[in-house]
Amino acid sequence: MAEWHAEWYLSTLSHWLLVGAAMIGLMLATYAVLRRLKVRREAAAGYALILPWLLGFLIWNAYPFAYSLYLAFTEYDVLQPPKWVGLENFKYMFFEDPRFWPSVKLTVLYAFISVPLGMAGALATAVLLAQDVKAVGFWRTLYYLPSVLPAAATALLWRWMFASKGLINTLLSPIYRLLDMEPLMWFADERLVLPSFVIMSFWGIFGANTVILLAALKNVPKELLEAATVDGAGPWTRFFKITLPMISPSLLYVMIMGIIGALQNFTAPLFITTPSGAGTFLNVYIYQQGFTQYKMGYASAIAWFLMVLILILTLLVLRWSEAWVYYEVEVRQKRR
Amino acid sequence: MKRAKLILTVWLTALALVLAACGGKSGDTGGQSGTSGQQSGGTQQTQEKVKIRLATWAGAEEAKELQAVIDEINAKSTTFEIVSEPIPADYYTKLQTMIAGNTAPDLFWLSQEYIASYAARGALLDITDRLAQDTRPAANLDDYFPEILESAKYQGRVYGLPWIAQPVIVYYNKALFKEAGVPEPTDDWDWQTFRETAKKLTNKEKGIYGVAFNGWPPVQMFIWQAGGEVISPDLKSSPIDSPEAIQALEFYNSIIYNEEVAPPLAVINEEGFAELFKKGKLAMFFGGAADDLDRVEGLDVGTVLVPKGPKNRTTFAWTASTVISSQTKHPDIAYEALVELTEGIHNWKIVAPRKSLATKEHLVKSEPRKEKSADTIIKATQEMRAFRVIPRQPEWDTIFWEQVQDPLFSKKGSAAELARAARPKLEELLP
Repeated sequence: MAEWHAEWYLSTLSHWLLVGAAMIGLMLATYAVLRRLKVRREAAAGYALILPWLLGFLIWNAYPFAYSLYLAFTEYDVLQPPKWVGLENFKYMFFEDPRFWPSVKLTVLYAFISVPLGMAGALATAVLLAQDVKAVGFWRTLYYLPSVLPAAATALLWRWMFASKGLINTLLSPIYRLLDMEPLMWFADERLVLPSFVIMSFWGIFGANTVILLAALKNVPKELLEAATVDGAGPWTRFFKITLPMISPSLLYVMIMGIIGALQNFTAPLFITTPSGAGTFLNVYIYQQGFTQYKMGYASAIAWFLMVLILILTLLVLRWSEAWVYYEVEVRQKRR
Repeated sequence: MKRAKLILTVWLTALALVLAACGGKSGDTGGQSGTSGQQSGGTQQTQEKVKIRLATWAGAEEAKELQAVIDEINAKSTTFEIVSEPIPADYYTKLQTMIAGNTAPDLFWLSQEYIASYAARGALLDITDRLAQDTRPAANLDDYFPEILESAKYQGRVYGLPWIAQPVIVYYNKALFKEAGVPEPTDDWDWQTFRETAKKLTNKEKGIYGVAFNGWPPVQMFIWQAGGEVISPDLKSSPIDSPEAIQALEFYNSIIYNEEVAPPLAVINEEGFAELFKKGKLAMFFGGAADDLDRVEGLDVGTVLVPKGPKNRTTFAWTASTVISSQTKHPDIAYEALVELTEGIHNWKIVAPRKSLATKEHLVKSEPRKEKSADTIIKATQEMRAFRVIPRQPEWDTIFWEQVQDPLFSKKGSAAELARAARPKLEELLP
C-alpha cells in the first residue's frame, strides 16, 4: 500500500497538465472567436477568463441540478437506468411515507426556534464586542474561533458534552439534586432531541453572524446617536429606536441565511445517533434515502421539495421584512 | 473569412482536447488494458498479463494481508494480475457509482444482503456453468456449506464464491464471572439459563452488565432457534407474526436495553458496543468468530456456543462473496482469477466456508491467534446459517427494523401487534 508507484502519480499529473493546457487553449480560442465576432476587447477577455468557471458550473452544477429534477420523477437505484414513474415519488412522499412528515416537522421547528434565538445571541455578542474594551481584537478573534473548527469535530464534541455523564449533566447535577429529578438524557431521549439540537445550534452564534452584525453596528452613524443623547434618549431608547433600525438590513440577511442554513442542517445530526431516528433532519433523510437505500429518484424528489420549501420560506420572510427593515435610501425616496 | 475558419478549427480542437483529457481521466480509473497511447512510456511489467481489478472494503491492515495473498497468486499466474483496490469507507456507494459509470471493477466483494439484489439488476456475471466444468477444490460447490452458498445464489444460479462464514459465538469475561460467583457457561445452556446468568452478572451500580444487545446479534437468529422464519424457503411469505417468531421477539425484547441484564441504549451509544466488552464492563458478548475479542489485553476471555433456543441452536453466520461484474471485458480470465483468489482467501480468512476446511488444524493454520477459541468455532460452524435474501433486501431490512424491532425495543407496542401490522408491508417486497 505504501509503495511508491511513480507511474500512477505521473499519469494522473499528466492528465491534469493536459486538462490545464487544453483549458488555456480553449480560453485563447474563445477570446479569438469573440474578437472576430466584433466583441469589445475587454468583454472578450472577461468571457475568456470566466470560461473555466462557467464550464465547471455547467458541468458540475447546472447539469446535476437539471438531472436531479428529472430523477425526481423516476425510480433510480443506480445499478439500473432510471425508470420514469411520473408523480409516484411525490405521492409516496406526501401520503404514504411514515418518516417524511416527522422529518419536515423537526426541520422546520428547528429553523423557527434556533434562528431567532441564535440571532438574539449573535446580536448580544456583537454589541459586547463593539464596546471599547481592552484587547478587543483578541476577543473578536476568540469569538470567531467556533466557525473555524470543522463541523464534524464540533458535532462529536457536543455529543460528548450531552452524554448522560457528560459535561452538561455534571454542571447541572446540583440542580438535579435540588429538584430531586433524574438527569436529562438529551440526545438519548426522543422528546429532548429537538431542544438538544437547538441548544447545540447556539454554538453558531459566535462566528460569521456576530462579525456581520458587528460590522453593521460599527456603521451606525455616530451623529444620530449623539443627537439622540442630546435630545435626552437613554441607552435602551437609542438601541431600539436608532441602532436596531439602522442595522435591520444586516439582521434580515443574517435571518435569511440562518433559515436556509437551519433547514439544511446536516453534519451534526449525521454524527449524532438518536433513538428511533428522532433526529432525522430532512437533509439527513435525503442522504439516507439516496446513499444507504439507493433510492436516488426518491431522494431527488425530497431534495426538490426542500428546495421549494426554502424558497417559499425565504420569500415569506422577504415579504414580511418590508414591515421592519429600514433602508435609508428607500425612505429618502419616499419622502421626496 | 479564412481566418475565422481557422479560429473555429482551433477552438474546436481545443474543446476536443479538453474532452479527451477529461475522458482520459476516467479511462485511467477504468483502464486495465494498458493499451491507451498516453501511457506508453516506462512501464516495466510485461503487458501480456491482463489486469483484473478487485474492489474490497478492506481497511489498512486487512488490505496488507490481502495484498500478500494476491502477490502469491499473481506470481503463479501467467494470464492475469489482480490489482487490489481497497475502499474502506462508503464502499457500496463507491461501488454503485463505479457500476453506474461503467468503470466497475472486474471482481468485488459483496456481503450476503446484496448479492440477490445486484444479480437481479443484472450487475453480476452468472458463473454456474463455468463452475460445473471446473475441478479445482475452490470451485467444488458440494464442498461449501449449503446454507452459506445459498447467499451467493439467485434463482438457482450461482453469482459468486463465498470467502468467509463467520459464525456468532459468545465471548465471556472470566474475571467478571468469578467476581459474581457465577459458574462459567457451558455449551448446553439455553435461553433461560443465559438470561438468568446475565441477570446475576449485572451490577448496575458498578456499571457492569451481563450482556449487550442493540439489534446485534440479529433477532433472526433467535427466530430460527425458536423454529420460525422471517422469509419462508419459497420466498413467498414473511411469517414474522408466527407464534415462534413472536416468542423470539419477546425473548429478545426481554434482554435488549433492559437494565436487569443489559445496558440501556444511552450507555451503548456513548461508550460503544463491543468497546463495552473490551473495557471489561460486559460479562458476555455475541461476536463473530473472527473478532479480536478473545485477545484483548488484560482480559481473560472464554468462548462458548450461543445458547440453545426452544427448537435448536442455529447460529447466525456473517458471510460475504467475491463476485464478477457483468461489465468485465475479460469474463474468462476474471473467472480464473476469482477461483484462485477464493482459494487464497480460504487459507487466510476464518472460517473458510468449506466443509473440508472447517477443521481445527486449518483454522489455526490460517489464524494462529484463534487457537484458544478454535474448538467452539468449529462446533459453531456445524449449526450456522446465513440470511435468506431477496432482491429488495435493503428495503425489507429497513421496514423490519423501523416498524418492528425499533418500536418494539423502545416499548411502543407489543411484538404481536407490530409484527402483524408490518407483515403485509414486508410481503409486498418479496419477489
